Amino acid sequence: MLDFAIYSLTVIAIWSVLALSLNLQFGMTGLVNFGQILPFAIGCYAAGISASLGYSWWVGALAALVVAPVFSLVVILPAQRLSQDYWALITLGAAEIFRLTMLNTPSFAGGADGLNVPRFPSPTVALCVALGLFAVSFLFAQRISGSPFGRMLRVIREDEVLASTLGRNPIRYQASVSAVAWIMAAAAGLAYGHFSGYVAPTSFTVTETFIIWTAVIVGGPGRNIGVVVGAVIIQLLGVSSRFVAQWVDLPSDLIANLRLASFGLILVVMFIYRPQGLIPERREVHDVERN
Amino acid sequence: MKKWLSLALAGAFATVGMPGLALAADPIQVGVIANLTGQDVKTSVQMSRGVELAADDINAAGGINGQPIKLIVEDSEYRAQEALNAATKLYTVDKVEAAIMFGGSSLMIPVAQLAKEQGKVLLNTSSSSPKLGEYPGTLFSILPLDDILAKDLGNLVADSGAKTAAVVVPNNAFGMGVADAAAAAFKEKGGTIVETIAYTEGQPNYRADIQVLASKKPDAIITCGYGDDSRTILRTVRELGIDAPWYAAYPSILEVENKDWMNGKLSGVDNGGYSQGVGKAVLDKYKAKYNEDEVMAHVYYGYDAMMVLAEAMKKSGTDAASIAKTMPEVVKTYEGASGKIVWDDRGQRIDPPLDVITYKDGKFEITGTRN
Repeated sequence: MLDFAIYSLTVIAIWSVLALSLNLQFGMTGLVNFGQILPFAIGCYAAGISASLGYSWWVGALAALVVAPVFSLVVILPAQRLSQDYWALITLGAAEIFRLTMLNTPSFAGGADGLNVPRFPSPTVALCVALGLFAVSFLFAQRISGSPFGRMLRVIREDEVLASTLGRNPIRYQASVSAVAWIMAAAAGLAYGHFSGYVAPTSFTVTETFIIWTAVIVGGPGRNIGVVVGAVIIQLLGVSSRFVAQWVDLPSDLIANLRLASFGLILVVMFIYRPQGLIPERREVHDVERN
Repeated sequence: MKKWLSLALAGAFATVGMPGLALAADPIQVGVIANLTGQDVKTSVQMSRGVELAADDINAAGGINGQPIKLIVEDSEYRAQEALNAATKLYTVDKVEAAIMFGGSSLMIPVAQLAKEQGKVLLNTSSSSPKLGEYPGTLFSILPLDDILAKDLGNLVADSGAKTAAVVVPNNAFGMGVADAAAAAFKEKGGTIVETIAYTEGQPNYRADIQVLASKKPDAIITCGYGDDSRTILRTVRELGIDAPWYAAYPSILEVENKDWMNGKLSGVDNGGYSQGVGKAVLDKYKAKYNEDEVMAHVYYGYDAMMVLAEAMKKSGTDAASIAKTMPEVVKTYEGASGKIVWDDRGQRIDPPLDVITYKDGKFEITGTRN
């Protein structure tokens, strides 16, 4: 049971980092990113490709942390004159383009066969890395949230025109926060690649993106602790419902469908009765003169 | 809880005087991982039922040295993360020593890595990526790898007299593996591949992918695929007026879209040996228990996986190391529902009995053998 707890905590820590990275963009800045699985995939693939070329793990890590923010700018800068609806489409499309590129470049990225990634030496090491990454990401996200930079992100989220009239350049803020969030997600991807030991295009579909979104929405967009709670709930629901299902004496395929249906039902109830999330963002009032 | 249940069962058997008292011992738990939701559910469910049929047979015959088999079936949702969740639970919480799995290589490989790390056994009933050969002692395959079956498929197309062929496969490890091996065999016999289409699964329409075939006019189409996608592909081809015969790897996995149009036009190679002996008995039991006539090859793979595992447990004990060591010995004398199983030194199936099956009047008929 301890092994399973270690495993579950590792998964939760990694997905929490991903949820925090989405929260920086959507929760704080209002950027509707439907392709946050892309930087996560960049991290995984950097680990896999560097291993397949015979390089050490840190080469993959370095590559991921450099490539991810560059990709964020490549994806986001063309969208700077567009409204938020188009950001969603562009990021969604970018993630799919990346996935399909990996699928169709077997000599470079393994294609449909995927690539092996060296696993962490032990589950305990994996847990320590994941928790360390989570701690750094959380503290960093908190730091951003409480800083003048974070407050300006919220102004941009509420009213870009207002931010412009304050002499700020919204796109510069959006690009900065995106680059940071993508580095965070790429780091989570790196950890996930070394944790699972394998990377393939099927792990980065739209379904995975919406799992991150669900964590953010359930927890409370805009609040770091909220999205972490959301990620914990989503992952624990998936895991714990397996135990409940095991006690029920019904055909396994029916149980599997009921398990997914109950999962969906819980989310629907959440959205109806608590749309602001379990731990909603606090309204903050700041005295401009004192800041 | 387990002891309490065992006592209760023993009491119940004693009360009604049933001859099952020998099975009142603690059950031996065996894991099953299948995509019961998500993609390819029908095939996956049938594999899981094949395992159940074998477990029923084993338990009816007295279990593993007096201990009954208990299956713990987990859903992978056809997602790598959930497959890992399922496998970790089975190996670390339920403490199963071996699991039988259905899933693509993107799920099978991470689970094989986990099994290796945990020192457990994984039996593969569906995946055929060449990477699976990298886990000797951990991963054992009940079905042959793609290159073996698809080579015969390529030869079959060449033997049919076709000079040109198009390849239409899903863009995944299964599809590309079949495409490469079948095309190579076909070309070796003088054939020409006029077009290779690797489609992205899950589309509502494949006209954009398939359209090009209308102008190429191939003598034959080489294919493989699953359920809904194959049905949509076939419908698109019919609507485009392409009339070439289809040659498939595992044709029975395809969903035939229009019975009349497809009559006599779809054939291919499948693992053989199902129609007689053990295979016939499994088929009859399957029909009786699940009241379903459309039976796919994976019922037999699931059945054989459980049987081979049980035989190894009977012979040398139930811990993973003993199972892994004994299974290659066991299969040497095992005559299964999918025929005789021959493993190479990595635990991958080679030299399977292959049948040629053809779709006629709404069902598949064996029209030849390749091996």
